[in-house]
Amino acid sequence: MNWMHIFPQTISSLLRKMPLSLLNQVEEVRVREGRPLEVNTAGTFYFLTQEGDITKDPSLAYQPGREEAHRLLDQITNHSLYTMEEELRKGFITIPGGHRIGLAGRTVLNQGRVEHIRDVSSFNLRVAREIKGVADALVPKLIDFTNKSVLNTLIISPPQQGKTTLIRDLSRQISQGTWGHREASWGGLKVGIIDERSEIAGSKQGVPSFDVGPRTDVMDACPKAEGMMMMIRSMSPEVLIVDEIGRPEDAEAVLEALHAGVRVIATAHGTQAEELLHRPALSRLADPPFFQRYVILQRNERGLSFECIKSSSL
Amino acid sequence: MLKLLGAALIIVAGTMAGWMKARQYANRPSQIRSLMQALKRLETEITYSFTPLPDALRRIAHQNKDPLRSLLMTAAEGMNDAMGLTAQESLHRALDQHWRHTAMKASERDVLHQLAYTLGTSDRRDQLSHMESAIRQLEAEEAEARDDQARYEKMFRSLGLLTSALIVILIY
Repeated sequence: MNWMHIFPQTISSLLRKMPLSLLNQVEEVRVREGRPLEVNTAGTFYFLTQEGDITKDPSLAYQPGREEAHRLLDQITNHSLYTMEEELRKGFITIPGGHRIGLAGRTVLNQGRVEHIRDVSSFNLRVAREIKGVADALVPKLIDFTNKSVLNTLIISPPQQGKTTLIRDLSRQISQGTWGHREASWGGLKVGIIDERSEIAGSKQGVPSFDVGPRTDVMDACPKAEGMMMMIRSMSPEVLIVDEIGRPEDAEAVLEALHAGVRVIATAHGTQAEELLHRPALSRLADPPFFQRYVILQRNERGLSFECIKSSSL
Repeated sequence: MLKLLGAALIIVAGTMAGWMKARQYANRPSQIRSLMQALKRLETEITYSFTPLPDALRRIAHQNKDPLRSLLMTAAEGMNDAMGLTAQESLHRALDQHWRHTAMKASERDVLHQLAYTLGTSDRRDQLSHMESAIRQLEAEEAEARDDQARYEKMFRSLGLLTSALIVILIY
């Protein structure tokens, strides 16, 4: 658990007392100042008591105080809040290992825009997990046989369903050339990942800490639209992978990639393809249809499941 | 013969004590000066290079001589993951360990002690203003330290010898 040391001793000792089977499934740890300490595992939540037991009753739960919130913030910013001004504006910090910590508190405004968050009182650690093989069933469906490449794909799901885990594995398999299909015998492709939140590759000083494939380049902590253009200009990728597109400039950059002959695999928040493409920012990608495949992600007890739709059937 | 040896010992010890006290007065202004320069460098590291605090402290430590060097080094080391200290605790711990090896006084220590509460915990603008105010306070201390040096350095140097001579005379 390389994320455990980030918590102050009082909290990490409680987490260590959890049953190991449960601890391995932890997806989120939520620390709220003066309120119960919460952990989320595959779809359910628990509070932790002072003794380290799990409970559903918030009144029995341990409540972290100001001192612990202060320590936690100090630790996740590497004792240097001033290096995190941009992150505080966006509301999250990514720590080594690709784990993301969302923050909430009182915001400071400058001319009506959020400058940063002060008095951070809520922390949400989202544990990043590498699950190799999670995209096994999906890869064969995305192969473009005529061009010996992959199809332009948009992966759609609500938050916390495993989008990032999925595209991490997709990138690894595409880069490695494990196509999972008899007739696909060509090698891996050059993959470029634009990792705005440092979540896909979990880069540490520019070097990915997750396995994203041998032919993969990562533009870390880079705004998506700008990063895609930079990659196309400088790294000649065959496939671009981006997380959570949603702004007009993202759509613009995706179109630019299309004109450059680069394939794009992107993710977006949503539940349905139609609904998503009616969003003003992304409508330019709907007509003419840019994406050849839409993948709707869903998670159940057995793991990830997905529904693959051809764009012509929309 | 033995008496003479004793007298010589007393005089040597007295003179040495005087010299040491005098040296403290001589060292204090220059140590404050290098502390100020270190803080100015830290200011640059924070506001222009966005260097994380532990790295910045380590880098500045290498540019300085002891005792400042080990003070900054201990502060940086305390911020390791393994130690689990906050920036403030780590700085305070370093002050506790190394301050007595410096020639500086409690008022300079208070400035650093105070600064430790804010270092690393706010945005760049705020950090800059805190560091600047610390440097201004140190400037005032430095001026005072120079006055003290002019007034007491020579005095203590001769006082050591004279006092020990007086003791020897009284014993004889």
